[in-house]
Amino acid sequence: MGEQWMFYFDPNRCIGCHACSVACKQRHDRDADADDWRTVTHLSRGEYPDFEEVPISMSCMHCHDAPCEQVCPPDAIVKRDEDGIVTVDRDRCIGCHYCAWACPFGAPTYDDEGLMSKCNLCLGVGPGGGHGQPERQTSEEGGPAPACVSDCVGDAIKAGPQSEVMAEASREAAERFEQGAYGKRVLVEPLEEDADLADSIREGDQPAGAITYEG
Amino acid sequence: MPLDTHVVLAQGFVEQLWLPADYWDLSIPVYLFLAVVAGGGYVTGASACLLRHLRESGPCCLESELARWGFMVAVAGAAGAGLAVLSHLAVIYRALLFPIYLTNFSSWITIGTWILVVLSVIAVICLVLQLFGEGPAQEEGTSLFPRAIVAKVGLLETVDRLVDRFRPPMVAFAAIHVLGSLLAVATIYTGFELAIVETVPLWNMPVVVPLAYLFSGLAAGVGLTVALTAFFEREVGPVVGGYAVATGVLSGLGLVTVWYGWTVLVASDAPAAAASQVALAETTLAIGAWLVVLGLAVALVVGVVVGGAALTGRRPPVLERLAVPALVGSFGLLVVGSLALRVLMLLAAQQDPVVVLG
Repeated sequence: MGEQWMFYFDPNRCIGCHACSVACKQRHDRDADADDWRTVTHLSRGEYPDFEEVPISMSCMHCHDAPCEQVCPPDAIVKRDEDGIVTVDRDRCIGCHYCAWACPFGAPTYDDEGLMSKCNLCLGVGPGGGHGQPERQTSEEGGPAPACVSDCVGDAIKAGPQSEVMAEASREAAERFEQGAYGKRVLVEPLEEDADLADSIREGDQPAGAITYEG
Repeated sequence: MPLDTHVVLAQGFVEQLWLPADYWDLSIPVYLFLAVVAGGGYVTGASACLLRHLRESGPCCLESELARWGFMVAVAGAAGAGLAVLSHLAVIYRALLFPIYLTNFSSWITIGTWILVVLSVIAVICLVLQLFGEGPAQEEGTSLFPRAIVAKVGLLETVDRLVDRFRPPMVAFAAIHVLGSLLAVATIYTGFELAIVETVPLWNMPVVVPLAYLFSGLAAGVGLTVALTAFFEREVGPVVGGYAVATGVLSGLGLVTVWYGWTVLVASDAPAAAASQVALAETTLAIGAWLVVLGLAVALVVGVVVGGAALTGRRPPVLERLAVPALVGSFGLLVVGSLALRVLMLLAAQQDPVVVLG
């Protein structure tokens, strides 16, 4: 069994330019109006002048436990032993959308045929293109970098075998990952402006501020 | 249905990234409802057959009517469930070839497909055995209307002869009913299909949701069978009364389970649980929530009171006169409420947001 590949994301380096999602569509020859395999969402809080915004780039995280694979009735979703990449065999997909409910990141998308497609870490090209491909090679081994990684202007996105990605992350991010942040499915750098508060949360203090609902 | 307007913020240390959650259309709650209704119909039919055998009732008894209506509800429910789920799928032929394609037996959709298909086959066999052959030919009753249809195409004698020729012995018949009844209870899988989805707190209650689906769905299936029998036979005897009580008890169990699930949801500190709670209590979905409560509560009261009176034979004249409309009306409301429960569970579903930690 090979090493699990995973994504790394640093929201402090992301400028929210959407180059990653555009690059993804170009690499996989997908229509401009097709649902994004990689999305960029701008989270905001507060009101002017105390207004903050943070862009979040997300895709399939190729989870170590792949909840989508567990619920897929025709075994169309495969968690590969060799590199941990989660691929889709569209020749088996029945389009039941069960995987979309199970996915914690909203990664599955459905095209006009109703079949599921999602990021395959550029293992192959196009919907279902990753299925049945040989083991993923790193850039050093001659494999292509994922389009979102190579086109990210701020180096906010990285991908690779877990040990390599962990080695490039900050100590805080790596520690948090080991503690189970994001279900150990993706490595994310802490938002810098909240780092002190995040430390207090990790140490078991009560979070500041009340939960509020706006609607 | 995404509830994008309900933004939950734990101020100061996290940001919540809400994702769209409208992956299933209304055909799914219809499927999840009809599958259990089929189970309820089957249990009623099988138990009525057993009662008829034990009581050595003659032809034209209400047990026969109950059995036929029960198996008809089972067949119609299973067929409707199948059509509903197929209408949702992108590649129907792969679902029809489920023995080849649905290979993941840890998925409740795969397990459920086998349960529903085998239950459908057994229900069809039981219905045919109740409708055709020498015995049913001597009976009367509205539930025998399929005989008239087959007679119209000139095949009645042939079908009667074939059914008698292949009628299984009593032991095999009993084994079929035992298997069918187990599968009817196994329609609890409809609840597990939702309950194992960890991203949706409204669903992720592995005991409450399956039990709520089972009790309310079986109640709807038994109640629908009782309502059809009472409506067409214009008679509520002790046997029908017993089934009405059973419907009431199942409705009561469903009501208690739904209420307990609501308290669990209210007590949860998951943001998506709060969003679902707000949706169910403070939006137009609240009307549907009260419809669920009303359907289950009215069926509980009417089933126990009217059914109990019929079962014990202590019926005042007013109850005698109102028994049929009361049962038909209340159990009709139960069917609507039980379906509404599934629809609400879909419309109020909210996935846990991705929490972006500081």
